[in-house]
Amino acid sequence: MRKILVIARREYLAAVKTRAFVIGLLIMPLMMSASAVLQVVLDKVRDTSEKRFGVVDRTGNPVVRQALEQAVALHNTHGLNDPQTGKQIRSPLALEWITPSNPDPQAIKQQRFDLSERVRHGSLFGFLDIGPDVLRTPHPAPGESPPESASLRYQSNRPTFLDFAQLAERTLTRTAQEQRAGTGENVAALRALLEPVPLLSKGLLTRNASTGEIEDATEQSRIAPVLVPGLLSLLMVMNVLMGATPLMQGVVEEKMQRIAEVLLGSVPPFGLMLGKLVGTVGVSLTMGGFYLAGFFWAAHRYGFGEYLSTPLILWFILFQALAALMYGALFIAVGAACTDMKETQSLMWPVMLLACLPLFVLGHVVQEPHGPVARTLSYFPFSTPMLLIARNAVPPGLPGWEMLLGMGLVLATTIACVWMAGRIFRVGILMQGQGARLSELVRWVVRG
Amino acid sequence: MNAVVIDHVTKTFGRHVAVNELCLTVPAGTIYGFIGPNGSGKTTTLRMIMRILYPDRGTLEVLGETRLGAANDRVGYLPEERGLYKQMKVRDILQFYAELKGFRDHDRAITDWLERLGLSDWSNKKVETLSKGMAQKVQFIATVVARPDLVLLDEPFSGLDPVNAVVLREAILALRRSGTTVIFSTHDMDVAQKMCDFVFMIYKGRKVLDGTLEQIQAAYGSDTVRVHVEGRNGTLENLPDVVTVTDFGRWQELRLARDADPQRILAELMQRGRVHHFELTRPTLHDIFMRIAQPQTEEMADA
Repeated sequence: MRKILVIARREYLAAVKTRAFVIGLLIMPLMMSASAVLQVVLDKVRDTSEKRFGVVDRTGNPVVRQALEQAVALHNTHGLNDPQTGKQIRSPLALEWITPSNPDPQAIKQQRFDLSERVRHGSLFGFLDIGPDVLRTPHPAPGESPPESASLRYQSNRPTFLDFAQLAERTLTRTAQEQRAGTGENVAALRALLEPVPLLSKGLLTRNASTGEIEDATEQSRIAPVLVPGLLSLLMVMNVLMGATPLMQGVVEEKMQRIAEVLLGSVPPFGLMLGKLVGTVGVSLTMGGFYLAGFFWAAHRYGFGEYLSTPLILWFILFQALAALMYGALFIAVGAACTDMKETQSLMWPVMLLACLPLFVLGHVVQEPHGPVARTLSYFPFSTPMLLIARNAVPPGLPGWEMLLGMGLVLATTIACVWMAGRIFRVGILMQGQGARLSELVRWVVRG
Repeated sequence: MNAVVIDHVTKTFGRHVAVNELCLTVPAGTIYGFIGPNGSGKTTTLRMIMRILYPDRGTLEVLGETRLGAANDRVGYLPEERGLYKQMKVRDILQFYAELKGFRDHDRAITDWLERLGLSDWSNKKVETLSKGMAQKVQFIATVVARPDLVLLDEPFSGLDPVNAVVLREAILALRRSGTTVIFSTHDMDVAQKMCDFVFMIYKGRKVLDGTLEQIQAAYGSDTVRVHVEGRNGTLENLPDVVTVTDFGRWQELRLARDADPQRILAELMQRGRVHHFELTRPTLHDIFMRIAQPQTEEMADA
């Protein structure tokens, strides 16, 4: 046991005292800060030049032009500047009214092509084609969309600039509603009818233990229940890979430099491997602790501390340790089977894929934490640590038995992985020359 | 008291028999030299003594222990070349290896050894900054720092310059004086001949020589003549009862056939030129090694 700890300490210090570890540790907060700073900087250097749009009004109703021009004028006088800083952040808009072609489909197509050419040449930023039936009350059959003649058609080769398209949609929807309602009284009544019902998203009510009073729930954040599970899973995958990759590199170095021979002269192969795994768990937990502390602070600072409860953190630590052991064993087996770093690449990617698998389904799992996909995948042992934590982090969390079942499953898989890796390690660690084939690995596992 | 007893040990890798029915006894407190061509089984034997490899058949007793790894903390092992973490500092790696052997009170011992081998100034430097000779010395300290009773050194002198080779040789002799048993493998017959109390040669996995230098030489008899003859080229060609002639430049060595008469050869030489030196001697360890290992080289050349 003492020797295992001596090896674990060396592994831990060898990983933690490197520049790569410190950089790896700081890179995420640095990138997040840099992204925020960049956002601020980019906001200051926005393109605020005038954007010119062609408008083809096929309704023949002057209210369309009137409404759109009023909206654009309002945008150009009051909508360009940041209300807080007073600095211009949006582009002024200019409209060029194009006489519509005759209603023949070929003529319409030709006109849209001509306008497209103008956009390509830069004399227009984009164009809006207002269908002839836009102001009429649409009567689509159930399940069908209104016809194109009742739609706005916005075309541009820079579809990410949406200021004008959104302004046109908003303005002409309002104009169409007014036209469809007819008189002014109807318009007011219609507005009232169309007023959306506000939704208050809240947690559950609680009873104050000391006063016995029932306390109202707080407003529920819409981002936190998605953000917290996602970040915790991502963090776990990151910690596992950042701990296990140097572990594998270390095994290859020990083989190449014949260090393994010296170590095996003092400690049996399984003890050597266990020492390495314990060191890796330490590395993973150090990283996890660093980020968790940051999350914990941020969660309480920005008012979503209830989503990062103490039991959730404890489960995270437990599953993080098991994941580091499980994946560490697999990475050790890869290192022992290879004779140089180049060889590890081909054997490593299936293990990397396995570790990243939970990230591919994370969105779905967070959306439906109790759905069949989430349930099934969270009991695939190599995904269990990440997905169970994600599911548990979505309120109201998971019942204790599900977490315990998951832990049992991961524990059993971890023991199997460590046993299997131990058999590969025992033979592979002294192997020189060329790497092992898959058939040899299987033979080592089966026969030892 | 014997440090190592190997009894009918066989070790195979696939179809290749690396060590075949080996029996060897290493007395405690001696220096035992392992010689043999590359791939003959020296390192496999050392690894089995170290319990890194397990024999397929036969038994091994190390420092009185037959249980696997039971004596490992009392055995130091220096592998052929390298064996150090490049990114670690010299003192840290020595501490690590000492602690792995269960030797906790290591600070003083490390300081002493670093001073003794002239590495005090490199104590806090990373291994990757050391020259090959320095790294070899650090590796040696790592092997002996925990004061083992048995030290296994695989090619300890390879890559060392003459000055460092002397430093290492003195350190090994000092270990023997303090009662430590030293087993080392080497390709340098001169070192083996001068340093070892016993020499063991393994060839194609089998023991072919084992004993003191005197015992080994006695087995081969006085069948070597060292001569210095002044004369034309070809003076030493076609001499009667001479099996081989090895030219060392300033003198030549003649290996005589069994039952050859040295007096007859001397008479023949005196007829061919002026004889400045004629010495009947025993074969050197190098000669014996070559006689055993040469056929393999010739077979390989024929193949």
